[in-house]
Amino acid sequence: MLKLAGILCILTGCIGWGGSKIREEQRRVQHLRELIRIMKRIQGEICYGKHTLPEICFILSEYSDLPYRLYFMKIYEQTNLRSGACLTQIWMQQMTQCLTDIPLQREEKDILINLPRNLGISEETRQSESIGQSMDLLVRRCRQAEDDYAGKAKMIFSVSLLTGVFITILLL
Amino acid sequence: MQQEEVLYMFPESMRSRWKNAAKQADKLQEIRLRVNVPASVLVDNREWFVDKEGNMMDMPPHGADNKPEELELILQHLCQYSIYAFADEIRQGFLTIQGGHRVGLSGQVILEGDNRIRNLKYIRYLNIRMAHEMKGVSDPVLLYLYNEHGYVRNTLLISPPGCGKTTMLRDIIRNISDGTKYGKGMNVSVVDERSEIAGSYLGIAQNDVGIRTDVLDGCPKKEGMMMLIRAMAPQVLAVDELGNEEDIQALRMASGCGCKLIATVHGSSLREIRSKKYMRNVMEDRLFERYLVLTRKNGRCEIEGIYDGEGTRCLN
Repeated sequence: MLKLAGILCILTGCIGWGGSKIREEQRRVQHLRELIRIMKRIQGEICYGKHTLPEICFILSEYSDLPYRLYFMKIYEQTNLRSGACLTQIWMQQMTQCLTDIPLQREEKDILINLPRNLGISEETRQSESIGQSMDLLVRRCRQAEDDYAGKAKMIFSVSLLTGVFITILLL
Repeated sequence: MQQEEVLYMFPESMRSRWKNAAKQADKLQEIRLRVNVPASVLVDNREWFVDKEGNMMDMPPHGADNKPEELELILQHLCQYSIYAFADEIRQGFLTIQGGHRVGLSGQVILEGDNRIRNLKYIRYLNIRMAHEMKGVSDPVLLYLYNEHGYVRNTLLISPPGCGKTTMLRDIIRNISDGTKYGKGMNVSVVDERSEIAGSYLGIAQNDVGIRTDVLDGCPKKEGMMMLIRAMAPQVLAVDELGNEEDIQALRMASGCGCKLIATVHGSSLREIRSKKYMRNVMEDRLFERYLVLTRKNGRCEIEGIYDGEGTRCLN
């Protein structure tokens, strides 16, 4: 009876671990979609609204999902203090914190973190185009992640189940 | 003006250098930053150089030259790290920043095919002109700007650069808008092509232009005047710096719509204005009922005279 309970625990644990990995992949796709939405909004606000970066942060603090909105608000508040601190640094610091626990790959995070570094172009259309390039990369990553998701989910589930079975056999 | 307002113009790393200049915020007129030479300030019509520690001195200090990257950092800071948002203004060679202060820019021009300025690059010369609101400067002339029924007369302010033309215009707008003992408050619309009158920042007028004033910021005068007449139904329309025949045509149309006009033009006397081709007909047709001429004497801005539509002096 105890052995049976142990086997069930191991299998459940392994499948649970697999499930969490699958959910992580799912979240990655969701976050990539949200990042694309944010980048599109930034592009629009630059190109049509001609808003400055602090204004864009304020708009995004109302428009974007959690946790992004909190950090956009923080950036806006910090720039409003008029302490003279470099906006690029404030942005990078806040975005690094924001993306710490988000299941995105380093390159994907860097697109958002390093965004102000690409904002030195003194012409809104060109500026918008340069953001468009970053967005294209995100779109490609997102499509790839969406395409791979079903296959990856199956694989992770199988691996986790097999791991559970393997551990059970080892322990018996 | 507050000390902080001067310091806010600079990034954190440079603020200690500008503390002394900021202490004289009320008298500070200009901050000039040029590449490879020391920074200078104009305080109460006197030029001072500023060294790296922020000391102000008569002679250019050694080792205090502005580096290109310092100027770029200041520009980035002034543009809130969003230069693209100020592209149109940069193209015209200036920026308006919070507080209504103007930053003149110079560098290398990028031209388009038809010799139009497309952009400025290598911006290496900045001239920060501090906005000083001077409420009440127009009080002595208001009597001449209203007729006996309390309506505003079409008025043209004539002044050489730097004699307080825009300051006077702003105060006249404020007075007309709020109402004076000579006439009740009226709806005033302002076409602020270069953001000098209202000093709008993020769409909000930084200078007091009165409670019944609507501001159209950054719009060319010709388009702006017609737009405001159609949209805001102003009783008085104010514009700064008439400069060509198109502006005059738009003024005539506005006048034909029943609006009273307050405008400014560069010049030192009525005679000089008459000699300008685009202004001659305006004067002959007596579009304006009052001419207010400003001048500079002994470093001070003064009213040289007020003239009626025929050019007869009303005030000496």
